[in-house]
Amino acid sequence: MNKYFRELTVAAALGLLMLGLAILAPHFFQFQPFISRLTSQMPALVAAIGIALIIISRQIDISIGSQFSMCAIIAGVTAASGLPLGVAIFAALGAGAMMGALNGVLVAYLGLPSIVVTLATMVTWQEALRLWQQGRLLNLPKGIQWFGLSQPAGQTIVISLAFILLIGAAWAMKNLAAGRFIYATGTDAEAARLAGIDPKRTTFGVFVLMGILAGLAAVFNLVQSPQVQPNCGDGLELKTIAAAVVGGVAISGGRGTLWGVLLGMLLLANVNPALTHFHQPPYWEKAIQGLVILLAVVADGIRSRKARL
Amino acid sequence: MKRKTFIVSLALLATLPFISCSKSESKSKLTIALLPKSKGNQYFVTCEKGARTAAKELGAELKFDGPINSDPAKQNEIVENWITDGVDVIVAACENKDSISTALKKAQAANIKVVTYDADAQPDARSFFVNQATAQGIGEQLMDTAASLTGGEGEFALITGTLTAANLNEWIKYIKAQQAAKYPNMKLVDIKPCDDQKDKAQQEATNLLSAYPNLKAIIGVCSPSVPGAAEAIKQAGKAGAVKLVGLGLPSENKAYVKEGVTQAVILWNVEQLGYLAVMAGAAVAKGELAPGATEFTAGKLGKMPVAGDNIVLGKPFVFTKENIDQFDF
Repeated sequence: MNKYFRELTVAAALGLLMLGLAILAPHFFQFQPFISRLTSQMPALVAAIGIALIIISRQIDISIGSQFSMCAIIAGVTAASGLPLGVAIFAALGAGAMMGALNGVLVAYLGLPSIVVTLATMVTWQEALRLWQQGRLLNLPKGIQWFGLSQPAGQTIVISLAFILLIGAAWAMKNLAAGRFIYATGTDAEAARLAGIDPKRTTFGVFVLMGILAGLAAVFNLVQSPQVQPNCGDGLELKTIAAAVVGGVAISGGRGTLWGVLLGMLLLANVNPALTHFHQPPYWEKAIQGLVILLAVVADGIRSRKARL
Repeated sequence: MKRKTFIVSLALLATLPFISCSKSESKSKLTIALLPKSKGNQYFVTCEKGARTAAKELGAELKFDGPINSDPAKQNEIVENWITDGVDVIVAACENKDSISTALKKAQAANIKVVTYDADAQPDARSFFVNQATAQGIGEQLMDTAASLTGGEGEFALITGTLTAANLNEWIKYIKAQQAAKYPNMKLVDIKPCDDQKDKAQQEATNLLSAYPNLKAIIGVCSPSVPGAAEAIKQAGKAGAVKLVGLGLPSENKAYVKEGVTQAVILWNVEQLGYLAVMAGAAVAKGELAPGATEFTAGKLGKMPVAGDNIVLGKPFVFTKENIDQFDF
């Protein structure tokens, strides 16, 4: 079977969906809504890059939604206090790195299961935010939205930075030692250790990177409107994990590409807009997304069975 | 946790002088205790403003205390303190219906009158509920406002919180009924859930705008949906061409209202809610308002109708470009 079978399948499904839209609902491709829609999907793409690396290294991080919200609010509060946007961005990335480092220490060096650790940090950050912000929308000062530039310029920056990041990360995963460390750690941590890789350091590094990417994703979200809501990251973990799984990242670690993640994300993210453009009720959204995820998991199952035989 | 304990003990210390004072004062002055869901929340701070006005008019003492965060256990604690304190009436907005009802019943047993406002307790734990608005009032007001903006014609869509939220579905029911009854030339084309997320509402609205090119209005049924939809309309360059009406706080919508993206924000008058709640509490304590009453006089609001054990504040308030600057919650 072709090495990129999954990526090709998902690309074909996405292509079919787009073709259907082009024929039945050409309004979908009007320039402005298309670009606005794509821009709004970029924060999840950035976070999905991180979650893919986490899963490839055979871990999970369900705290990323909370990290995202926390980083967004920290950046928002920083900006609202009158500090320049650069400081706010730095604060978001720094906060993300610290939250990621906490997960990383607990998982990599204390050997605690990542699902439990990140469940705990997920709830902790969420509740801390609730206590701090009381669920209110935070109004941002002028000059934050679109980095203080025009709407088209801001959208161009967000989309191009996200794609540059994706291309860079995909290249690094394939060509840099760090990338191969992540695959090796996820495939077999003991074998990786014997081969001279430090799996603990790799795992720790991946969690820190995840935090930073959650912070960056939060910034990309922050600049798209003049307000930020403390629950803005809710559900991000499910969205990104689903994108990774559909895109062919094996939940058992060691396998998957970021191109697959991009395709998986675009496919899942466009189910809802497609339903709206086909004038169908929204009840189908979750059902269809669930079905897509299920198909991906079943395909993975069949594949690993075949591999064992 | 340490810090919380510290704050709580500080708060307790702060109330100590009150406890000793109020006991020694003459019994003629009415003591009204107002419990918000959370005392840091601007919404309840605004309620308090109205409550203070009412207390001043009545010549009563007003105690205002609540959890820092919305915390049902902390609400019980405060009610317990007020029981020991011997206040005359407790006016409460309940975070958790079941958990606070026990404490409120205990207060009733100690001869303290109980009235609820904003969010009700169990009916047997209070004598009256001051209801900020009825589902029917909200639904009809939203539909009427949208219709008046579009001239009673054209397609419109709703953005709600979740498809399963009972209160939102109730409002939607009345929106649909009002449309069917009064605006036959309007057509509801879609209802989208935003999961109470502003950003999702923005995406939903972007999709609605491109999927329904003839869309004339969007109604935001939950508060995050209104600024979310506003941003989408603004990004699409359709401000004013597609009207936006919704339920929400003035402070969260002020910028869009002033830019002309959002035409109307609907909410009850929060300050009046606090005022009415305290007036009702005082009337119950003085025996002027008892079960079976059909109306009572609420200070400057005049005669308010009483329906069973519900006192309704009245028609929701419409915030527009003209008046939104006067409100800061």
